[in-house]
Amino acid sequence: MFTYSLNRLLQLVVTTLGVVTLVFFTLRLIPGDAASAMAGDTLSGEALDRLREQMGLNKPIWVQYIEYLQNLITLNFGETITTGLSIGGLLSKAIPITLAIAVATIVLTIIISIPLGTLAAYLAHKGHKTLDNIITGGAMLVDLMPSFWTALVFLLLFSLTLGLFPASGTVSLDDPAAFLHRIALPVLVLSVTQIATMARITRTAVLEILSEDYIRTARSMGWSELRVLFRHALKNAALPIVTVVGLSFGSLLNGTIIVEFIFTIPGLGSLLVNGINSRDYQLVQTLIVFYALFFVSVNFFTDLVYKRLDPRVQF
Amino acid sequence: MAITFTTPARASFLLRMPKLPGLKFLAGNKKARLALIILVPILLLTAFASYLPLQGPLQTNLRAMMQEPSFLHPFGTDRMGRDVLVRTLAGVQVSLFVGFSVAIIALVFGVVLGTIAGFFGRTVDRAIMSVVDIFLAFPSLLLAIGLVSVVGTGLVPVILAIAIADVPRFIRLQRSLVLSPRSRAYIDAARTVKASQWWLMSRHIVPNTIAPLLVAASIAAANAILVEASLSFLGLGIMPPSPSLGNIIRDGQLYLQQAWWISTMPGVVILAIALSLHFLSDGIREALDPRARK
Repeated sequence: MFTYSLNRLLQLVVTTLGVVTLVFFTLRLIPGDAASAMAGDTLSGEALDRLREQMGLNKPIWVQYIEYLQNLITLNFGETITTGLSIGGLLSKAIPITLAIAVATIVLTIIISIPLGTLAAYLAHKGHKTLDNIITGGAMLVDLMPSFWTALVFLLLFSLTLGLFPASGTVSLDDPAAFLHRIALPVLVLSVTQIATMARITRTAVLEILSEDYIRTARSMGWSELRVLFRHALKNAALPIVTVVGLSFGSLLNGTIIVEFIFTIPGLGSLLVNGINSRDYQLVQTLIVFYALFFVSVNFFTDLVYKRLDPRVQF
Repeated sequence: MAITFTTPARASFLLRMPKLPGLKFLAGNKKARLALIILVPILLLTAFASYLPLQGPLQTNLRAMMQEPSFLHPFGTDRMGRDVLVRTLAGVQVSLFVGFSVAIIALVFGVVLGTIAGFFGRTVDRAIMSVVDIFLAFPSLLLAIGLVSVVGTGLVPVILAIAIADVPRFIRLQRSLVLSPRSRAYIDAARTVKASQWWLMSRHIVPNTIAPLLVAASIAAANAILVEASLSFLGLGIMPPSPSLGNIIRDGQLYLQQAWWISTMPGVVILAIALSLHFLSDGIREALDPRARK
């Protein structure tokens, strides 16, 4: 286990370095350069040179690269070019909000999708085709709904028509109850898609295991159906489910960008979209690196959990 | 079912000599038929939209602003009196173009690079796959957003951004497809008669990857359509006034309460297209892989 973790950690470091390098050089590929792309037609001559200097673009590229790496390691992200705010400060305000949305979504998803998927598998196993088809078909339909569209439909239904949740307003962590009420609708939007994916995977995984010999043995020992289903079948189906929780984290991050934009929540996603619209490359670069590192770290931990759960894997 | 396998021998014959899924295959499959029932009318409507007696997608009509869906305007009209159905159809044209272009670009580059990685192995494989791993470290929409911030907005940049994000997935798939049949009996059989590596690759291994690649391509097309819509919705894709499903929905967002149809209707169409492409991929898989049928 230790050697495996170490190897995997080394791989994580290599990927991270690759990600950081890729982002750095891609942003230097912008036609002209980042400064003139940012300024558009508003600046010329000396003013543009000053901006270049401010962005550090007048130095040789390898010096810029080394400085960029140093700054990342020391968590010194610099300031946004357009507003002059500290990027570190912006991040520390946005991260808890996005993280809260992501965690709430994952918790809600696991609570609902695993029993639902197990139920569908059980129904399919027992030959109740219609009910199983309704659950599976519904899950597929929901899975393919574009999240921004679902968000608007939910906004229309739950917020504008029924008035259950606020559609906009301040977001502050100081008042947890108001905060939860404010993020409830975005979390709900993200959860429906995630639940659909997870329920489908759970169904497939559990269904496969229900036809195993040891399930028949468990039944013949007189265990109740519920115990067989949740203690024996679901426990063994945990592996593919854990993998998918990790993998679907990417689509969850994608989703947070969209719901934050729609529900005007000042998280990382709103920061990113605003950064791109105002062509603030310093900010965009930092955010993209941050998202990618977040994503690879989650995958790293998923892999470790996977190996830990699977007793058949040799270390 | 268009083709039934009675003996395992005939099934393995198909594994060696896969045919492209012809219409006959698809017509015999329930899911593929369902997919075509949804897709064909949408395709026809989109193709002949400009011949229908409807106003143009950019044409405004100030006497018919924000009208509810009616016989004259089945999807209603927007704040400038433009017909939402016509705009949606124009958006579908863009979506389908994006979907197919991305699928084709990702397929071509994925097959070439994946085959090279799997075929040559060692250093080449390691080099290609480490770049692939870096790209796979980004959530797909995020990578597309990042690339759009570099290549700019508009139709071609959006296609490129989505395709670049998709190519690594196809490389990985193709590589695994090329590597997996190495231990199959028919490969051993070919080796015993001294078939060259090149012969094995071009005659036995690569042709066998076509079916799974087509399945993946139709899902990639559906995803590309969703990603393009998301980008345009965020204001980072295809910019107004040219209609795209994403930016029509974005336009309608401001009038959600007064005119729910502007945002809702194009979404239903995206969902229908995505759903039918997924059914199509299931259909192709079931038609080509006898083990997938249940």
